Amino acid sequence: MRSFSDYLRSLNDAALLDLFTARPDLVTPVPPDIASLAVRACSTPSLARAIDSLNQWQFQLLEAGAALSEPFTLKSLIAITDKAAASGVEYLISIGLIYPSDDGMRLPSQLRDVLGNEPAGLGPISIAKLKLADLDSAPADAKKVLERLIWGPPRGSVGDIKNPGPGVAWLLERKFLVPLDQRTVIVPREVGIYLRGGKIHRENQIKPPVMTGTKRDERQINLAAIANISTVLRWVEELLNFWAEEPADALRAGGLGVRDLKVIANHLGVDEACTAFITELAYLTSLISIDAQDRIMPSNKFDIWLMQTPADRWQVLASAWLITSRVSGLVGRAEAKNVAALGPELDRVNASRVRALTLSILQENPCVAPDTASFTALMNWRAPVRRNSSLQDELSAWSLREAEWLGITGQGAISQYGESFLMGADLAFINSDLPKTVDHILIQSDNTAIAPGPLEHEISQQLAIMAEIESRGGATVYRFSEATIRRALDHGKTGDEIKAFLTKTSKTPMPQPLEYLIADVAKKHGKLRVGNTSSFIRCEDTSLIAQMMSDKKLEVLTLRRIAPEVVICDHDATDAMRILRESGYLPAAESSNGLILSGTRANRALTKPRPPRVIGEIEAPSEDLLNSAIRTIRTGEKSSHKQLHLRQRVSEALGALPRNTANETLDLVNKFIQEEKSLSIGYADNNGSVTHRIIDPIRVSAGALIARDHATGEVQSFRIPRITGVAPL
Amino acid sequence: MTDGPLIVQSDKTLLLDIDHPLSTECRRAIAPFAELERSPEHIHTYRLTPLGLWNARAAGHDAEQVIDTLIMYSRYAVPHSILIDVAETMSRYGRLRLEADPVHGLILVTTDTAVLEEVIRARKIAPLLGARIDAETIAVLPSQRGAIKQSLLRLGWPAEDFAGYVDGQAHPIELVQKDWKIRPYQELAAEGFWHGGSGVVVLPCGAGKTIVGAAAMAHAKATTLILVTNTIAARQWREELLQRTTLNEDEIGEYSGAKKEIRPVTIATYQVMTKKKNGVYAHLDLFDTHDWGLIIYDEVHLLPAPIFRFTADIQSRRRLGLTATLVREDGMEGEVFSLIGPKRYDVPWKEIESQGYIAPAECIEVRVNLTEGERLLYATAEPENRYRACSTTRTKSNIVEVLVEKHSGEQILVIGQYIDQLDSLSETLGVPLIKGDTPIKEREILFNKFRSGEITCLVVSKVANFSIDLPDATIAIQVSGAFGSRQEEAQRLGRILRPKSDGRTAKFYSVISRDTIDQDFAQNRQRFLAEQGYSYKIIDADDVLQGKI
Repeated sequence: MRSFSDYLRSLNDAALLDLFTARPDLVTPVPPDIASLAVRACSTPSLARAIDSLNQWQFQLLEAGAALSEPFTLKSLIAITDKAAASGVEYLISIGLIYPSDDGMRLPSQLRDVLGNEPAGLGPISIAKLKLADLDSAPADAKKVLERLIWGPPRGSVGDIKNPGPGVAWLLERKFLVPLDQRTVIVPREVGIYLRGGKIHRENQIKPPVMTGTKRDERQINLAAIANISTVLRWVEELLNFWAEEPADALRAGGLGVRDLKVIANHLGVDEACTAFITELAYLTSLISIDAQDRIMPSNKFDIWLMQTPADRWQVLASAWLITSRVSGLVGRAEAKNVAALGPELDRVNASRVRALTLSILQENPCVAPDTASFTALMNWRAPVRRNSSLQDELSAWSLREAEWLGITGQGAISQYGESFLMGADLAFINSDLPKTVDHILIQSDNTAIAPGPLEHEISQQLAIMAEIESRGGATVYRFSEATIRRALDHGKTGDEIKAFLTKTSKTPMPQPLEYLIADVAKKHGKLRVGNTSSFIRCEDTSLIAQMMSDKKLEVLTLRRIAPEVVICDHDATDAMRILRESGYLPAAESSNGLILSGTRANRALTKPRPPRVIGEIEAPSEDLLNSAIRTIRTGEKSSHKQLHLRQRVSEALGALPRNTANETLDLVNKFIQEEKSLSIGYADNNGSVTHRIIDPIRVSAGALIARDHATGEVQSFRIPRITGVAPL
Repeated sequence: MTDGPLIVQSDKTLLLDIDHPLSTECRRAIAPFAELERSPEHIHTYRLTPLGLWNARAAGHDAEQVIDTLIMYSRYAVPHSILIDVAETMSRYGRLRLEADPVHGLILVTTDTAVLEEVIRARKIAPLLGARIDAETIAVLPSQRGAIKQSLLRLGWPAEDFAGYVDGQAHPIELVQKDWKIRPYQELAAEGFWHGGSGVVVLPCGAGKTIVGAAAMAHAKATTLILVTNTIAARQWREELLQRTTLNEDEIGEYSGAKKEIRPVTIATYQVMTKKKNGVYAHLDLFDTHDWGLIIYDEVHLLPAPIFRFTADIQSRRRLGLTATLVREDGMEGEVFSLIGPKRYDVPWKEIESQGYIAPAECIEVRVNLTEGERLLYATAEPENRYRACSTTRTKSNIVEVLVEKHSGEQILVIGQYIDQLDSLSETLGVPLIKGDTPIKEREILFNKFRSGEITCLVVSKVANFSIDLPDATIAIQVSGAFGSRQEEAQRLGRILRPKSDGRTAKFYSVISRDTIDQDFAQNRQRFLAEQGYSYKIIDADDVLQGKI
């Protein structure tokens, strides 16, 4: 038993179950047989994913394993690391990154490619025999050179290899340095390990670093968190209401333009990073949709969402955030090229893993708001290797920031709401913990109204039309002005309705100036009526017409008075209205049958929302699924075995070349590479005709077999799918 | 969730529910660090600003106290970002200090060299600095003390000023409280100023700002320069000082267009200070001719630009700014604070009113309907003449006549902007008019007659907007103004706010033409007073004419 697939075949169901639990990508989709499973488990993406899940100590062990030549023993591994290696290796074996074979431990064939050529900063194994003891008596010059290369990278550059300095010359002579090319030398692995004192790493980081932070009071945490929760719900609602009034246009390349982002940031009164986060939340949860005309507006899911309880609304947001691969923190970073919110460039493979890890660290340290430095150190121990490593620290910082915005944390420490959410517990208690909604406002004589708490939904919707929001937070400050009253009238309300609503809602008597303001605007509103069909302006008030006719600001409209009360103009109604309003008039639009058109409605997209796909992460499968996967593989294995046997019988009978599936080929080739056997293969050329080749396999790389062809004597690459069959000679 | 009176908003405003039982206590607690923005009838708005927080630091409050106060009185959870912001902002104060060094003169010292390195590299600051003394110290040009403080403030690293003030030439001044007593808020204001060293005191019109000035002089006990808006105001100051302090006539000088006296206490007008002779400000030397221990700026919201510039150069002298309405339509409030000093005392108008120190006042907007002819005239007027056209109509004058008649027997002021309108009003009402070209002497005679009750009605132009003390005026009728000026409106109301002997309510009428820009401007004008809690009542001119009101 020497190949990885043989090892997999030897595993019992329990061991397979462990493997699949740790590496769910192996059974998504379920492979047909063990050979396919082995190929998938040895593929670069799957190995990279498995390595990503290691902590610093496990990764150090794996590097140490890669530094040894195969097969190796546990004893030799312990010798270059630490006694604790025994249990660590057990774990690495259980997830298939190291496997035991007859003669010792081995690594799956592609693993070295994934780890790189220089594991732990060590160079290649020396070809020549080395007298390592000589190193102790190396001259000072040579020691200086080695000191620089000892902890990797093992390559160093020299001026000219033919004319080295005394130290380098001494080392080259004894093969303690090997020339790579004209200017580069490398330290062989044995020398590296010797110089590191027989170990691989400067320090074996067996235990995680201790996280420090500020202790927080539990009550304060939860108070802060509930404030955050109510804020994030308000943000999302306000964002969508804003887009319902004025849908944003998506950029041609996808996503939200910087200017639109600023407009919303301004509207919500938060910074742009937070705005990007909120827009992304709405996008992830299908609350917005980008229609065929590239307009961004709320979907009808928004209406459903609004009807849910706050706890449910929050859960929708938090769940989508937890699993998404999109990283809103990338939007508008100063140093990088600008990336648009809602755009196509926000996916990062590791995002949700870092997020989950961040939250689990917070969960392990209740009531502690972590210090950034110690938090980063712990994160780096827990997940030392990662794709997008340049973002690692930022990803965790963003996760912390976003968890706070969402209210999963309060004052930087995990809140009871976040805890319950992550445990999947009932969140209904959020509803009762949120500040009680108020059903009244206080109107003051400076034309402001204050809602001393979160307003009931219906009232806040109404007020938003009649007044401008001046200050947001626990309370809301509204300001009435001519423009806002006009807006309410434009929405089809009458002056009396506005007055009645305010009188009913306000706890304080309505100040007289506001009453007059409403009456004045209502009286004037609609005095001017502008039509679309013939673009006319009419007014019963002839002096107003006279005023308009003499108004220089209206000259662009080229008005012509066709009756004492009617004026026509060359512009279409929309432009005419705009210019009139800009010049301080209060026109109302009129339909063809003389009715006043009321203003904009809240828009809803007609298209179905398409939330972004979650990429990169595979959800942990259930045990049932895993068991059935194992059954499938076992059955597949039997039938594959039978088929292989049959095919071989046939080819033997016909004296033809062996035939294998691509998976079997890869599996066989891996096995024969280790056994260093010459092979007979069938290889299809571009035209599909199959030739028979005798080869010595060297290695498998990027879907091709590198091998020496006996016929030509040259090293050549054979593409695996074109190999029709493999048999040992 | 507590049930406190305060709501802390995420935009750093604080809403104080004044109907809450704890509101007074809470107001006292937040006043040192939050700035009062509006004080209408139910909810007062305060704002957390860096300046306010730094002033609190200067007064010895630390971030923890501020945060505790916010949390203690807050109705809802205080946004975490605000707590962080408060702590961060306050920690920036005091990293830099201005000190007087016996060897090097004025120096800038730091406890954090990184900050010092940052600021000395700033383009605005570098030219104000002298030689580097060591890693933590750098010399500052003494004449640039004001400029560097201002620039550091803008950079967000305010310097704590330990360099102190020059005492000036000592001169004994005491308050003489024989038949009157200094009011508690006046005393608090003067003390607040004295402890702060320099700064602005904001008190409503008629609340006795002169006495605060006098009390400050009594603290300083040094020669004092007082800058006022005009000669009449200068004489009123003089009267007040003679009456309230130990100063005698020979010790108080007037430096105006008419007289050029320099005495231990000198009262100068802004006008004479900014008068140019051959292209130079001939009288700005006054700041230097004497070793003043205190400089008082009356009506500091009117401070003219040249004086602004000069004030930056005299940072080592104590400066007191007095005003009722620190709103400048030119948005220069920030400059006032950084040059004269931060706001040291501010109190809602209604609070002083409730203590009985200013008269309760009723603000009434009378809306007149223009006649058809007037409307047409207005409609066809050139835009630049529109306001004049609608604010000087004949219809308005009729209403003014009726109002004057209705209040006959009371002391009435008719205030307006346009001289021809005032001329015709003065003629139809048969009362004297005071305008820009009325000689000072004649003005004084008329004001004195008005005070004594010999005449009961005066028509005045904008010359009477400020500083004119007419204790018994109870009615003001405003017919036109400087467009939408908020402070003019407040100052005009201020003319009738002196408490009346019979506790009568003052009435402030503003006559407005309906459906014209007069109405729009009026709305803007009323904003300041509305934010101070004055609720305007709107009545119809026809009701006035028919005697219903």
